[in-house]
Order: sequence, then C-alpha cells, then structure tokens
Amino acid sequence: MARNAAGGFDEITWDDAIARLAAQLGTANGRVAAINGYGPSTFSTLLDDMVGALGGRSVRWEAFGREAERTANFRTWGRYELPSHDFAAADYLVSFGADFLETWGATVQQQRGFAEAHGYGNGTMAKHVYVGPRMNLTAANADEWLDVPAGTEIWVALCLARAAAMHHGSPLAAQLAAYTPEAAAERTGIPAERLAHVAEEFAAASAPLAVAGGIAAQHRGAIDLCRATNLANIAAGSIGTTVRFGDGPAAGNDYGTVQELFQSMDRGEVAVILVHEANPLYALPKSGNFAATFAKVGFKVSTANVMDETAAACDLILPNLHALERWDDRAPRPGVLGLMQPVMEPVKPGMHTGDVLLAAARAVGGPLAGFTAQTFEAHLRSAWTAEASRRGAGDAEGFWRDALQRGGVYEPAAPAPAPALSAGAADLAPGDTSFDGDGEFLFLPYPTSQYHDGRGSNKPWLLENPDPVTKITWQSWVELHPETAKRVDVREGEIVEVTSPHGTVRAQVYVYPGIRPDTVGMPLGLGHTAYGRYAADRGVNALDLLGAADGQGFLPYVATRVSLTKTRDYRQVAKTEGTPRQLGRGIIEAMPLAHAAAGMTPKESMTAAGHPPHEVNTERELEAIDGWYEAQKERWNLGNYGADETPKWGMAVDLSRCTGCSACVTACYAENNIATVGEEQVFKGREMSWMRIERYWEGGEDGEPLEARFAPVMCQHCDNAPCEPVCPVYASYHTPDGLNGQVYNRCVGTRYCSNNCPFKVRYYNWLKYNESAWPEPLNLQLNPEVTVRARGVMEKCTFCVQRIRAAQHTARLEDRPLRDGDVVTACQQACPSKAIAFGNVKDPSAEVVRWKRDPRGYTMLEATNVMPAVTYLAKVRAVDPVAHGEAPAAGEAH
Amino acid sequence: MAAHVPGVLGAFLHVDAACDAIRELKASGHADLTVYTAAPNHEIEEAIGDPISPLRWFTLLGGLLGCASGFGLTIWMSRDWPLLVGGKPIAAIPPYVVIGFELTILFGSLASVAAIFILSARKSLKGRPYAPRFSDDQIGIFVPCGPDRADQVQAMLEKHGPVEVTRDA
Amino acid sequence: MAVIAHDPSRPTQTHAEVTRDVLKTITDAPTRGYYVLVFGMAFLVLVLLGTVVAELKEGIGLAGYAPPIMWSVYITTFVFWVGIGHAGTLISAILFLFRSPWRTAVYRATEAMTVFAVMTAALFPILHIGREWLFYWLLPYPNQRYLWPNFKSPLMWDVFAISTYLTVSSTFLMVGLVPDLAAVRDNVSGWKKKLYTALSLGWTGADSQWRHYTRAYLYLAALATPLVLSVHSVVSWDFASSIVPGWHGTIFAPYFVAGAIYSGIGMVLTLMIPLRKVLKVEHMITDYHFDNLSKLTLLTGSILFYAYGMEYFVAWYSGSTFEQTTFWRRAFGPNWWAGWTMIICNAFVSQLLWFRKIRTNLTSLFVISIFINLGMWFERYVIVVSSLANDYLPYAWGQLNPTWADWCLLAGSFGWFGLWFTMFYKNFPIVAIQEIKEMIPMPRRKSAEGAH
Repeated sequence: MARNAAGGFDEITWDDAIARLAAQLGTANGRVAAINGYGPSTFSTLLDDMVGALGGRSVRWEAFGREAERTANFRTWGRYELPSHDFAAADYLVSFGADFLETWGATVQQQRGFAEAHGYGNGTMAKHVYVGPRMNLTAANADEWLDVPAGTEIWVALCLARAAAMHHGSPLAAQLAAYTPEAAAERTGIPAERLAHVAEEFAAASAPLAVAGGIAAQHRGAIDLCRATNLANIAAGSIGTTVRFGDGPAAGNDYGTVQELFQSMDRGEVAVILVHEANPLYALPKSGNFAATFAKVGFKVSTANVMDETAAACDLILPNLHALERWDDRAPRPGVLGLMQPVMEPVKPGMHTGDVLLAAARAVGGPLAGFTAQTFEAHLRSAWTAEASRRGAGDAEGFWRDALQRGGVYEPAAPAPAPALSAGAADLAPGDTSFDGDGEFLFLPYPTSQYHDGRGSNKPWLLENPDPVTKITWQSWVELHPETAKRVDVREGEIVEVTSPHGTVRAQVYVYPGIRPDTVGMPLGLGHTAYGRYAADRGVNALDLLGAADGQGFLPYVATRVSLTKTRDYRQVAKTEGTPRQLGRGIIEAMPLAHAAAGMTPKESMTAAGHPPHEVNTERELEAIDGWYEAQKERWNLGNYGADETPKWGMAVDLSRCTGCSACVTACYAENNIATVGEEQVFKGREMSWMRIERYWEGGEDGEPLEARFAPVMCQHCDNAPCEPVCPVYASYHTPDGLNGQVYNRCVGTRYCSNNCPFKVRYYNWLKYNESAWPEPLNLQLNPEVTVRARGVMEKCTFCVQRIRAAQHTARLEDRPLRDGDVVTACQQACPSKAIAFGNVKDPSAEVVRWKRDPRGYTMLEATNVMPAVTYLAKVRAVDPVAHGEAPAAGEAH
Repeated sequence: MAAHVPGVLGAFLHVDAACDAIRELKASGHADLTVYTAAPNHEIEEAIGDPISPLRWFTLLGGLLGCASGFGLTIWMSRDWPLLVGGKPIAAIPPYVVIGFELTILFGSLASVAAIFILSARKSLKGRPYAPRFSDDQIGIFVPCGPDRADQVQAMLEKHGPVEVTRDA
Repeated sequence: MAVIAHDPSRPTQTHAEVTRDVLKTITDAPTRGYYVLVFGMAFLVLVLLGTVVAELKEGIGLAGYAPPIMWSVYITTFVFWVGIGHAGTLISAILFLFRSPWRTAVYRATEAMTVFAVMTAALFPILHIGREWLFYWLLPYPNQRYLWPNFKSPLMWDVFAISTYLTVSSTFLMVGLVPDLAAVRDNVSGWKKKLYTALSLGWTGADSQWRHYTRAYLYLAALATPLVLSVHSVVSWDFASSIVPGWHGTIFAPYFVAGAIYSGIGMVLTLMIPLRKVLKVEHMITDYHFDNLSKLTLLTGSILFYAYGMEYFVAWYSGSTFEQTTFWRRAFGPNWWAGWTMIICNAFVSQLLWFRKIRTNLTSLFVISIFINLGMWFERYVIVVSSLANDYLPYAWGQLNPTWADWCLLAGSFGWFGLWFTMFYKNFPIVAIQEIKEMIPMPRRKSAEGAH
C-alpha cells in the first residue's frame, strides 16, 4: 500500500510498489537506512549487504537488548557479548532482576533448565533467590525473595561476591572486603543475618549461578550491577561451568546506535528508510519525539504485515509473508541454525521481503547489480550451499534436505575458554542510583511474558491468557502494594493518574502484595495506537512515563520517580482470580525440602510443622466408606463398562516443576479451539480457559515472607464426578476409559454440572463465542480435530481426547498395543518444565503411575471424595522447615 | 338430543321437605330419581341412600399403576443404554423413588378425574329436564314415569310443599 | 336452644345471595381500572417475550451470569414462583382434609394463584437453559438416538414434580370449578352462555354426579397433600443433593416447604387484600380469614426463623471450613445485603404477627405481605447466588451483577402471572359458590329442627 495525497493509503500492485521502492533507492544517493528486528539470518545479511552497497546503514533492532550486561562483560572481561547460562547444572541460583522465566534471555530453555535444577528429585533441589523490588514470575518461583529497592541490588551482589571470594580464597576477596552483609543491609533494608545466610549458602554451593541484566533492574546502575554479578560468578567459580562464553545468544545493536540513527534522521541524512520486523515508534518512549524525527525521512518503507504504529507513519507498506508462509532461517546462537519453510498458502497477498528486495535490486542495478538471485528462496538455497561447504558437508543437497527435515542444524558450540579478567574489573564504586523526577514512588515498568515489547498485544490468545502473577487479562494496570493503596486511599479498579517528569498515564489500580510499598509497577506492551483491532487503543503505554535519554548504551527503564493522583473514575480489573488466599483448604500443598527428602506426604509434612491437617471425615465415616467404591464398581459392569482391557487415563502434575508460566493455557486454547471472549466477558468471569493456573498467596502478612503458589487446574476427570449425575440428559457421563465425557451435541445447557463441580473447571458458552472469537482469517487457526462449540453448551478439558483416539487408532493400524508416551496432551507437550505426566494408570510401568506413587502426591479437595484422576505432587521449597513459622511442640493443634 | 324422558319435575326450597319427598318416592318404587342440588347435601344423600361411590378403586389402581411405571420406566431406561454417571449404580433406586412417587400421584389423580366421567356416565341424564334455579337455591327432583303414573307422582310431590311441580309428558 | 354466638367461619347469606354476590363479580362490566391492569400486565408479558427473543438470538449470557454463579436470577425466580404455589394447595387440599372451615372463602383464589404461579415458574427452567429449544430432551420419549434422560438428575425429578404439580393442581382447580361454572351458565345469556355451557361439561348437580364428584374431590385433596409437600422438597433437592456448600443440607426439604408456604401466604395476602375490595366480597372474605392466614404465616415464618438459625448452627458444628466460609460470607460477604434482607423480612417481620392488632389490620398486613414477598425472593437469591459465589476453590470465586435481561424476565414473570390472575378473577367465580353453599344450612319447613 502506498500513501496517497490525502494522507490515507491506496492499494497498489506489487510491480508498482517495487518500482516505487527502486526509484527511491536509486535516487537516494546513499542516504539509505534500515531498522531490522529480525535476528541473525540469511535475510538480515542480505539486507545489511544491500543497504551497505547503497552506502547506507542498517541497524539491528532489539527492544530488550541486554546492553548493560554486554557493556559490563566488556568491562569485566573485555568481551562485548553475552554468555550462556546453564540453569540445569546450577544448585544455587540468584537473580538480580533478571527475569529468566519471562523476558530475559532464552526463557523456554532457561525454564527447562530451571525446572531440572529447582524441581525436586532424589531428595534434592537447587535453591533460588530473587533480588528485586517486585515479585514477578521469576521471583514468585524463588525460595527466597529479597525485596530490595530498585538500584540497590548491587549491594547484595557484592555481598555475595565477597562471601564467595572469601569462601574460595579468591584474590578478589581483598577488593570486596568492604561489602559486608551489614553494609548491604544498610542500603537494602534486608536484615544483615538474612543476607549473610544467603551469601554463605551461595558461597558454599557447588554450582552457583548469579544472573543480572533484566529490565526489572535496568536502571542507571545496571552496568555496575551486572559487573558485580560477574564478580560473584567469578568468585564462586561459576565461569566455565554455569556461565559459559562461546555459545551465548546473538544480540542486536544497542540503544545508543538506534539513537544515533534517529539523530542522523533528524539532521536530514536519511532519505529512504526501511523498517523490517520492528516497531520503534511504539517501543521508544514518546518523550524522545521519535515520531517527529521519523517523519523527516523523505521516503519511509515498512514491511509490516500488521498495521503497527511505525507502518502507519510510512509512505509505502510492503507486507511481508507471515512466518508460517515463507522461507527463512535464523541463527539465534552459535550452534543453532534454524530453517523455516512455508507450511501454508499465503492468506493475504503478501510478498516475501527478500523477494521484494531482490526485485528492487534488479530494478535499481548499479550498486545493487551484484544481487542476482531471482527469488529469496534461491538466495537462501545458495546461502545454505555455502554453509554446507563451510561445514565440510560434501552433499549440499543432502545437508539441505536434512536441515529441512529437522528444522535446522544443531550442534554443540565449541566451548570457549574462560575469558581473562580485564584490568579494573573489580573497581566498583557503587553509589546511589539516580532517578528522574521527585515523585514519591519509584516507577517500575516491566515487560510481561505475553506482550514482551508490545509485539504480543495484538493476539487474543495472549491478551486473554492471564498475566501469570497478577492474573489480569486484556488491560493495563497500576500495581500498588496494599499499604500504599491504603495510604493513597485507592481500591482495586480505581483509576489513578501516574505522573512522571516525562508524561502522565491513567490506569486502574491493582493491589498487589508482591511489590515494595515504595514502588509503583506497570506492565509494558499495551497502549498501542495502531497494530490491529485487538491491540489498538487497549490499555496505556507505560513507556510514556519514561525519558528517552541514553543510559550508557541502553534505555534505562527503571529510572523515573512518579507521583500518584486519585481520580473519580473506575474501571473493573479484568482479572480471572476470585480470592487469592487458600483459606487453609490445602489446595496447593508445599513442603520444605527436608520433609520431602524424608519421604513425607503433604499431610505428614504439615503435621511435622505443627499444623496437623483438618480431617473432615471421622474414623467411623472412613470405615463406612471403606470398600464402598469397589462395591459400587461391581454394579457398573454393564455394557462397555465391563471390559478389563480398557485403559484408564490419568494425569500427574509436579508442582515443584510448575512455574506458573501459563504456556499450557495457551497450548490448550490452540489445541482445543477454545474461544477468547474479550475483556467485557472476563469482567463477568466468563473466560473459557479449560486449563487455568491458579495462583495463591501464602504469608505476606504479619512479617511472614510472601510466597506464591501455582497450580494448573483442569478437569480432574473424577471417578465419582459430581457433574455427571446431575445432568438430566447424560451430556456429562463417564466413559469406560475413565474420562469425564462431555457430549456437546446433547448438552441443553442447564449448567448444573458446573454448579456441582468443586473445581469449577467447566466453561459455558454464554453467547456466540464461536462466532466472535475467530473472525476471518483467524478461523484458519482452528484445529480440525476438535469441534467448535456452539453457544448454550458446556465445555471443558477432555484430556485431549482427540489425541487419545488418534494414538489408539495409530496403534491399531500398526497392530500393537498402546505404549506409554503415545498420548501426549497439549498442555503436557507445551510445558517447558515437563511438569505434567499423562498416561494409562492401569499400566504399572507408565510414567504417570510412577509420579502418582510419589509420597508428595495428593488430590485436591480430598474431603469431597470425588476421586480425581489428576494427582498433584506437592511443591517443594528449599527453605528451612521452621524458618518462617513458629515451631510449636509436636502434636499441638493449630 | 336424546329421547325425551317423560316424568314429573318438582322444585323444593326446603331441604327437609325434599328429603321427605325422596324417601316417599323411593318407598313407592320410584328408584330412578334424579335429584338436583346446587351443593352436595348429606341429608339428601342419605335420603337417596346410594352406596359409597366405587371411585376409590380407580384412584387406587391409578396410583399403583403410576408407581409401577415410575420405577419401571426409570430402571428399564437406565439399563437400555447403560451410562455411568458419578460412580453410581446404573439403575439406582433412591433417586428413582422420586419419579415413582410423582407418577403415583399423577396417575392416581388423573384416574380419579377420569372416574368421575366414567362413573357418572353410567347413568345417563340425557333427556331429563333441568332448570337453572337448581344451581341457585332450589332442589329439583325429577321422577321419570309414564303418563299412567304421573298423577300419583305429582300428588306425592305436592304433598311435601314444593315450590312448583311440572308434568313433563 | 340457647342463642349461639355467631361463628365467624360460617357465612351469613342465603344460597341465593351467594349466587348473586359471586356472579356479580363476573357479570358486572369491567371498570377502567381493570383494563389498565390488564394492559399493564400484557405490557410486562411483552417485556418478557422481548427478553426471551433477545436471549434466543444472542444467548443466555445477556443475563448477568458470572461464573461460578451459573444459576442466578432465573432460578431464584423459578423457586420463588413454585413456592408461591404451595400456599394455594395447602389451603385448598390440606385444610380441606382437616375440615378447616375458614378455607372455603379463600381457597378458589389461592388455588388459581397456585396454578398461575406454577405456570409462571414452569417458564423458568425452560428459559434459563442455554438451548431453550431443546428443553424437550428432558422428556422420556422414544427417539432415534436411543437416549433416555438421566433420572438420577434432580432436574429430572423437577420435570416430573413440576409437571405433576401443574397437572394435579390445575385439575383440582377445574374440578372444583365445574359446579360453579354451571351456576354461571344458568345466569348468563348469549355467547357467554355457550362458553360456560361448554366449560361446565354438562354439569347439572344431579345426585348421580355429586356422588362421584365428592369422592373424587376428596381423593384429589388427599393426593395433592403429599404432592404439595413433595414438590418443594424436590425443588430443594436440586440444591441439597449437590455438593455445593450452602446447598448440601438435610434440612432443606422441610425448610423449603415451610418457606414456600410462608411465601405463598404472603402472596395470598398481597392479592386478596385489594381484591376483596375491588370485587366487593368483603362480607365473604372477612378479617377472620385474614387472621387465620396471618397465624399460618406466623407459624411458617417461625419455622423459617428456626431453619435459618439451624443452618448457621450446622455450618459451625459441621467443622467444615467450606460450610463455615459460605455462611460467614452470607452474612458478612459481598452479598451481605441480600442475606440480611432475607433474615429481616422473613424471620423478624413475621414475628410481628404475634400481635392481634397487626393481624387484623389489613393495611399493616398488606405491608407485611410485601416484605414477605421481597424477603422470600431474596431468600432464594441468597441460597442460589451467595452459595455458588464461593464454593471450594477460592481462585474461582465470583460476583454477580444482574443485568437488564435478569430484571426484565423477573418483571415479565409478574406480568405473566398477573395477566392470568386478572383474567381469571373477572371471568370465573373467585369464591367457591358451591362450597360456600355447602356450609350454609338449607332452609327447612320445620325451623325448630334447623339447628344441627
């Protein structure tokens, strides 16, 4: 599309568009620039080469570029790069604002590693300590959260470095001697004993790992914090073990480079700009006036296939093909070379940007005459042929075909030796971190795992997947500690005005115990002015409160003080949680490591901790129901229910591995054609999440440390399902293989089943969600194996019955019995932590049976005697059994 | 209209007079009387002296049939296509008691009402005269008889002080 | 014989006067006020229809349902109307068996109220389901899917209980009406005569008819008596047989039956106090009748008072944290206002009826009856909504905000009920002619023998 005289856009042909682009490139006289958000790849190299051939500059865009970390690494080791972190190998983890489960680094890989390390097994687990002002998902998974004010994390890092250096006799010890726990306590407000305890544990750990550099600690002291963290890792001997150089992730240009490009635009040095896979006009703070600068460029081209803010400001839009529709590759880190091939026909008449560039190059000729490939696919093939010969693969065709089959080439990167320390690596003079403005509160904008830098906020799946810790959907919010909310006299949903020296935003309050009372938090990623029907005009952009000034190569996100003003407005918070406390109901059980290692059950653990669980049934009642179930079963043996060889499906969830990340939730939406319902319906609690992650708070009051507990809750497929007998038309019934079946066609919608479900995992089609959730072309995302439910019927988790049946059919066709692992549910498949096991509970060798035998296993709401098919394995916390509670005499009732 | 039934119709205001007349008519062999009243009256019932209505057998049979069909229906339907719900037996008796009970009441009631029609129809009133005042405050006594006995009947009625006696040839 | 003080339960008129007075309510030309009433009710019925059409088109989600509150205003209103019906059957059937003389003057009106209340209630189970057009799947009819309904479901019990109740109570009403319709037939002319001739089914009041009729009426009353007790018990088991804290209680059946009668008499009072004036039957329906109705209200209200107290006691005594939380939140949770409305209107207001002055003052009775209606609607609202709002998993708790669709259907239900009732009282004998007459000794020649 091209901009017309009236300021709107006209649709033009691709030939016309390429001709226009070529004309501008041909006459730009080298004053050409590109902003490219697509990472290292054949395409990016092509773009860089072409822009370079024209004499322009190409900037690799990355919103959260971990620049402070790279600069710190340069100062520590002289290497401006990122190492890789081996979470799986660590036995003690400390994170200084590095949200490794959300937006910092390769989160899926890290979460897998974290679950390996931190998940309980064989009597042991790693301990995780989080240092930062807000309990985000990473902090919520920590065994200990040190809620220090933003900017003071470095004192804890240095304290750890000192302890480790002293413990290991490192030469750094002398330089770090001043950073005692007492000094850190003075700065952070955390008691010195607690800091000393953590420092000692860190120092004594055999494979400790400290990480820093996330947005949560991207303040003006971020570089020093990362350097201090480096020292801690060095002192603890982690370099080369849990921290390795050589296979760290590739990174883009830093914020300074981006700013330079804009400065040159401002000076009129750019005549043509091409923006690819980047949305700088959204992701840069408005206080920097980037939009006005951008407008000064004579001819602006975007390849966005969604009308985002930057595209809306361009003169020519050349929509790229979607990632599922195109040939491409990607090299995210050494050792990994991913290859993508189209899996579907283009839905809209887009064109691969590589093809566009190559066509334009042919038209321009001259400096671009060297780019002769006819199509990008041909270019990609020749690049891979070159790669094959570089790797010494004799058969380039075979190399290519192999990569296509496996989705890329994977080989371990060559280990690099531990780098040498730079001179002055330990010369640190931590002072007070400076903040703009004189507001009462520190402002903490933070990216979330759904929206990241804002690119996720046009996807209903992500908008409706509740934020893992706050459980809010579809909205922006202002996070206040309960004490702060009381002091400012606001309640949840009241709209406050947040004012910084750089701007003002208005959003509703969410009262959140996991944030320091002196800090105000806001999620990033919403508040788009364009970017499609789902993102535009939704929420506010927390970046509006930030300054745009460069903080040594990076954008300092946590660098502003804000003040709050009450307004008279109100907007309901679209959250999916009701009450965040368990009220002593033992829904998500947890036990200290020592108890788990001693093989205790959750009940035994509670009794040992002086809180004997409340038994609902008396001895006599238990005697009365003893054998009742078996006797009852005898009376089922009619029809299909008599066969012994039918499997019985069951699930187990290891809560010590579950982080609450909610990937399973979206996987379930995708697999089962679950409708998104939108903000208004979420207000009424009508979200359809067959699988939801419940999050409960423990402690956080009366000086008890705050603890978050997560558990995925889906249909429990109870043997004594209370939902079944109440259905007047048998729409809900028990299948012979132990599933709680729901026959959509038969459902008339009395909703009694949901009332009688103690887990509230049945979801009802109140309105025509099937018509509103998938407007064209989103209907293409529907799974053809699964019915789309009409309004008026109840639906719920089926244990992915379509996958069970498919596996059974395959086994039948292959004339073999079904094997353990043949059926993988969508949530199980998506879980980065491998926290879910599924299988036939009649098969004694099945993984799920092994899990269910774990002493940590329990079923939720045991008192209801519904006999769920889902077993939860209690969470294990690497804490001292009596560290956080009174230690009552044994047997004393609570 | 069915064939006209000849006879004599008397209208009474006083209940004791009507009873006396009925008793006398009965004694003199006029068994097939029709007595119209606006409301049921025990004195008149006694004077007529019919046995208690056999309607109760209908009620009883209806009730028993209802009870049997309630349990029969539920148990048979459960076993016809066995579907397991909530770990309960396929044919569970306690919940079916409710259905059994309700159908007992329903069939019993409907049988009783049907019995009114069936039993009342056993004695055809067609062709017998009627006057609107019998639904108001007068008691009507119709004595079917041929013209040969009409005089005698009329005299019998008039003896007890009727409001009016009409001969209906 | 000594002069016997006038027994207030005995009518004082002659048979002819009874016929005349009751017929006047039918034969008098309707007033303008009557038409206003009819059109007002008809308008509310249109509101109901409009809401139903909108919900058929868009879905039941137009109402304020907020999971986990999957039942709300519609089921509340359903139970409310079913409960209303119970007073009618109590008065017409149970008091008939007990030979309670004061029932005669009021029973026809209350029984009509029963039928129309049950007709109103019966709308809601159909209108509240998500696919209204498939409601017949709850009926056990042979079909090509070989599927029968699930008789273990309390909703199936409901289907049978409500349809039986509707059938039996309307049969009972119609059977009682037949002799009266014959009286109307004999006193009107023209097309009305044809109409009432058809409706009176050839009734002449012949001895051969009365002989079976009186027996049948007795058995109907005998069958309706356990029925009235069972229907609200079954409705209560919709709740009590679930595992929802706040529903799962053995006290529910008697508690609901008492509540039903309480609410029903409340509605009887609300209807009869103005109606006797409008129809000029004050000499037939007297203070004496209202005094008796009030005593019944006091009794059932006190049973409710006990039941409320017992619910709280059991919640505490059970030791179940789920029950305790539910009842705590009933009184002090987000729906505290509904909880206290119920307790004040039902348990406390009914206690005012200990005072004879209040019982015999029709204005105060009318005000109290309004409180009873309100309180009993809220009782069901509290039971349905406040219990569902907070059951087992606190994460899944929710709050209800009813919408226009909820209120329109509620208002429409009053229109639907009111329209039937208004049409009934103007076209059918609102006081049972033949039963009143049965109570008046017929004149005798020998008046000395009259007193018996």
